[in-house]
Amino acid sequence: MSLFTRNAIIALVIALGITGTIIYAVSYLNRARIAELSTIEDQLSIDTLSLDTQFSLLEAAPCESSATSTTLTSELSDLGNRLSYAEDQLGSDNQQVIRLKEQYSLLEIRDYLINKQLAAACGTKPVTVLYFYSNKKGTCADCDKAGYALSYLHTTYPALRVYSFDYNLDLGALKTLIALLKIDNDLPAFVINGKHSSGFTSLADLEKQFPKGALATTTTPTKK
Amino acid sequence: MGSDALTYPFIFIALYFESFMLVTFLSSPARARRECGATVVPLESTPQVAVIVPCWNEEATVAGTVESLLALDYPVDRLSLILINDGSTDGTGAVIDRFALHPQITALHKENGGKYTAMNIGVDYAKDAEFIGFLDADSFVAPDSLREIVASFAEPGLSAVTASMSIHEPQTILQRMQYAEYSLAITLRHVFASINGLYVTPGPFSFYRRSVLRELGPFKHAHLAEDMEMAMRLQRAGHSIGNALRARVYTKGPTTLPKLVKQRTRWTTGFLRNVLFDYRDLLWSRQNPVLGFLILPLGLVAIVGGILIFFIALTEFAQRLLHMLSLAGVAPLSYAFTLHPFSWFYLPITTVVLIGFVLTLSTFIWMSLGKNLSKTPGRLLPNLLVYIMLYGIVAPVWLINSISHVARGTRTAWR
Repeated sequence: MSLFTRNAIIALVIALGITGTIIYAVSYLNRARIAELSTIEDQLSIDTLSLDTQFSLLEAAPCESSATSTTLTSELSDLGNRLSYAEDQLGSDNQQVIRLKEQYSLLEIRDYLINKQLAAACGTKPVTVLYFYSNKKGTCADCDKAGYALSYLHTTYPALRVYSFDYNLDLGALKTLIALLKIDNDLPAFVINGKHSSGFTSLADLEKQFPKGALATTTTPTKK
Repeated sequence: MGSDALTYPFIFIALYFESFMLVTFLSSPARARRECGATVVPLESTPQVAVIVPCWNEEATVAGTVESLLALDYPVDRLSLILINDGSTDGTGAVIDRFALHPQITALHKENGGKYTAMNIGVDYAKDAEFIGFLDADSFVAPDSLREIVASFAEPGLSAVTASMSIHEPQTILQRMQYAEYSLAITLRHVFASINGLYVTPGPFSFYRRSVLRELGPFKHAHLAEDMEMAMRLQRAGHSIGNALRARVYTKGPTTLPKLVKQRTRWTTGFLRNVLFDYRDLLWSRQNPVLGFLILPLGLVAIVGGILIFFIALTEFAQRLLHMLSLAGVAPLSYAFTLHPFSWFYLPITTVVLIGFVLTLSTFIWMSLGKNLSKTPGRLLPNLLVYIMLYGIVAPVWLINSISHVARGTRTAWR
């Protein structure tokens, strides 16, 4: 065997070895991302159930659990960011991503309902945004901008509760929510403290949808 | 087809090429060459050598070129210099006339006919030389470089020997980029010479056995790539081309982008025209499989891949930029630059990114080895940073230009 042939074969083995190692490493990292998301979701699931249980136990004085609820909402937001990144990396048709999105949507709905009950029981008026988007190509030209604007608002006003839902996710509870709120496929769609709107033009126009003064103090306590 | 699917074959080929470089660098022929040095040939037994300097409008540099040749550590009675003014329109003729009375120097003037015609006249004058070398009139040699070259000819069967080129006192940003690029080329030339895979004997200080030049005939126009054509002619005739790793020669790199693009377009069109038309038989040649199955095909793939990856990167960059611009008006600009807490989760690690990292790292190692093994002076690191920032942007310009020239049959200009 000539030196060239020998070197060519060894080089091929090295190149394949490096490529295989890199593919394995990237796959390992992606699996670790999914595992991380799954762990966060499991923890949030337990926390949500705990809050729900607390709420049932403290029917007489439910407002004592509201601090925990705010923390949970913030963690949900962080999970949403991670999920969105994982979706970008792995693709929106990845089965694990879809499963995690379904769990995430369920947690969001559950958190939304608990907060709604807490607000009613404690007399608070949190500003809540239900945001419906689509990442199917060509179905929502302004969803990126709307999502970005809401991220900015949430960062600027941490007490603002933003729940984002993929309109096309095949999840019974989400479909029920969409049906109850009468959200059609004119996306992006918003329900801000019960008030419906759709489409996105600018941050200023979106802010006009919020109750007056809500973005300055998003949790205005009122006496009953 | 996604951009990644287009990118994968090219980055795998690049990875294969780097792996082949590594294995060949560590193989015994390359190791033996690294151990070979000037001490192999004692001064008293040095052969007769002639160095031909073809000049065309080089008044600013030719004096320095000649002075560096006169300073060579080589017996004066065994080294003759032939300076040929190829119809320069500036003061080059007057400059070389200043050296005309020097006993080692022959100064000639002729009508402009192209570099190869000047080289051929020089060969005719170098009748008593065993080895004939060429030096572009914008290049300068290190004092021990000729002895390194001659020592390399001690290896049986070598018909030509190339030197290790680097950029002379890089000043501009583009020259700094070229300094890093030339450092890489030093290693490439060293590695591929060890398996007879060179397809160019560059103008700055390549040497030939006179008997071989007589056998193969005169230099040709060869699409303004006479050095490449002669090397391919050598390979076609079954000769071997070596490399003297520590024979340092410094050349003036183009200072501006238009000049650099013009030079590289000439080189690349010369490569394409010689490989695709005049020396097509070298492709897939069993006589020299290193050239035929690896270096020449990969040279072609590199041109296509360089352009393709440039456009893919440009498209992705434009898309991201448009996306960012579309979002920029949505929220205050300061929000876009808000720092988020670090998390491994968001590390943008993909297969393309990691293979790209391996390729970049290995390229830096080859550059560093090239500089250090050849003992080339200068600092690599700052020039390396310029290379990282610029090369991927400017190289596609001459690659695209070259493809366009060859496809349209455009005559490429020298300068």
